[in-house]
Amino acid sequence: MSYLILAYAFAIAALGGYLVWSLRELRDLERKH
Amino acid sequence: MNRAERWAAAAVALMLVAGAVIFLYAPTDALQGPVQRIFYLHVSAAIAAYGCFAVVLLGGIVYLRNESLVADRCARAGALVGVVLTTVTLVMGMLWAKPIWGTFWTWDARLTSTLVLWIIYAGYLLVRRLAEPGRQAARIGAVVGIFGFVDVPVVHFSVTWWRTQHPGPIIVNDALPAQMLATFLLTMACTLILAAVMVWMRYRIETLMDEKQHIAEPVKVVTAREPEPVP
Amino acid sequence: MNPFRVALAVARKDLRSEWRTREMVPALAQFVVLALLIGNFGFQIDSRNALTIAPGILWMALVFAGLVAFGRTFAAEREQASLDAMLMTPASPVAIFAGKALAASVLLVACEAVLLPALTLFFGTPLSGEVVAAVLLATVGMAALGVMFAAIVARVRARELLLPLLTLPLWIPFIVAGGQAVQSAMGLPGSYQEAIGLLIDFDILFVVLTSLAARFVLDE
Repeated sequence: MSYLILAYAFAIAALGGYLVWSLRELRDLERKH
Repeated sequence: MNRAERWAAAAVALMLVAGAVIFLYAPTDALQGPVQRIFYLHVSAAIAAYGCFAVVLLGGIVYLRNESLVADRCARAGALVGVVLTTVTLVMGMLWAKPIWGTFWTWDARLTSTLVLWIIYAGYLLVRRLAEPGRQAARIGAVVGIFGFVDVPVVHFSVTWWRTQHPGPIIVNDALPAQMLATFLLTMACTLILAAVMVWMRYRIETLMDEKQHIAEPVKVVTAREPEPVP
Repeated sequence: MNPFRVALAVARKDLRSEWRTREMVPALAQFVVLALLIGNFGFQIDSRNALTIAPGILWMALVFAGLVAFGRTFAAEREQASLDAMLMTPASPVAIFAGKALAASVLLVACEAVLLPALTLFFGTPLSGEVVAAVLLATVGMAALGVMFAAIVARVRARELLLPLLTLPLWIPFIVAGGQAVQSAMGLPGSYQEAIGLLIDFDILFVVLTSLAARFVLDE
């Protein structure tokens, strides 16, 4: 059971983290543009 | 909210729906128990990653043919998103393997080739970062992307062949019950949409970064034709 | 220009400059012997387990010696900027590439000529024609891929770092099949014929692919 939670927690952290990071990068670049 | 944020929010909403279906609708596996629910996102992420790497392959081929910057940016975007998705696949797979097989890792063909896939495209990203941006990096990237894509089935095949020389654990794939299949297909569709949104966002970022570094489509130089010799 | 003659000329040029300086082969030979030394102390080797461990040490030593050898293939060209001059001649890039690969694999074969007898000497494993054939067949494909990636990283920063990262994953099929071939040639279970057949298939596949890619890698 704990492996299930761990697995989905990792997936959320990785995919969510990537999404937030790229949104911020995009916003930075668009502001400078 | 700008356009990218709206798309991202939509993709996240779809993933939340998929998550609800995975945890509330899908039946608990009789043999493996709740841990089997890892399967849905694990396999979907793997398929989406293959899709991203196919984008890298196609981008590379198109770039080598006509040096289109659009193709190269698509390839760059696909590689980064693909590596993120492969990381998710690998980590989720290891966390699934531990309770079911009793070990985080076995040198099975699929595991080995997925690891090789990850290494190749992480190497691709490194090459892109270290090479001089522009034509050189794009050409090198295209070649690495194409070779990487060819190598994965070859590694998969050779490890399968090697496994039959050394009998090892065999993973039996049972047919999925209808409810599980529906959950899986929904998760896969949502993950593919998420991946597409991620690639598109990365494509935007790469475009803006290229503009910052003044990398633009090559200008076709038209040389004046020599005047015809007068007889 | 006859591409075969160009390839041979490029290979001869590389081998001649190696013969003048005599840098690579002694260094590689020493490297290989050191790898065997490390293998001996890393494992607890005795006459009973030597057969199961020796093939692994053989491939480890060979792969890393190969990385060193291929990492140096374009060193002279880089230092003297002679690659551009070579590419300006009407010679086809594929022929230049083939010549480079030929010279690098001759160097690697020289290093194998030290490695295989040393393995027999130190670990008591049989040194048969079958082992030699497997190693030589793997060398062909490894050289094609190794020289291609050496050409790719030659113009990149931190090339020493990148070459192994790019090359090793693509060498894995050769290590799977070559490892199996050497193991069965040394008396461990597994089919030798099948492994050799697979090695030949991989050789053909990657030699064809690298010659198709050579144009894009060397051109500029």
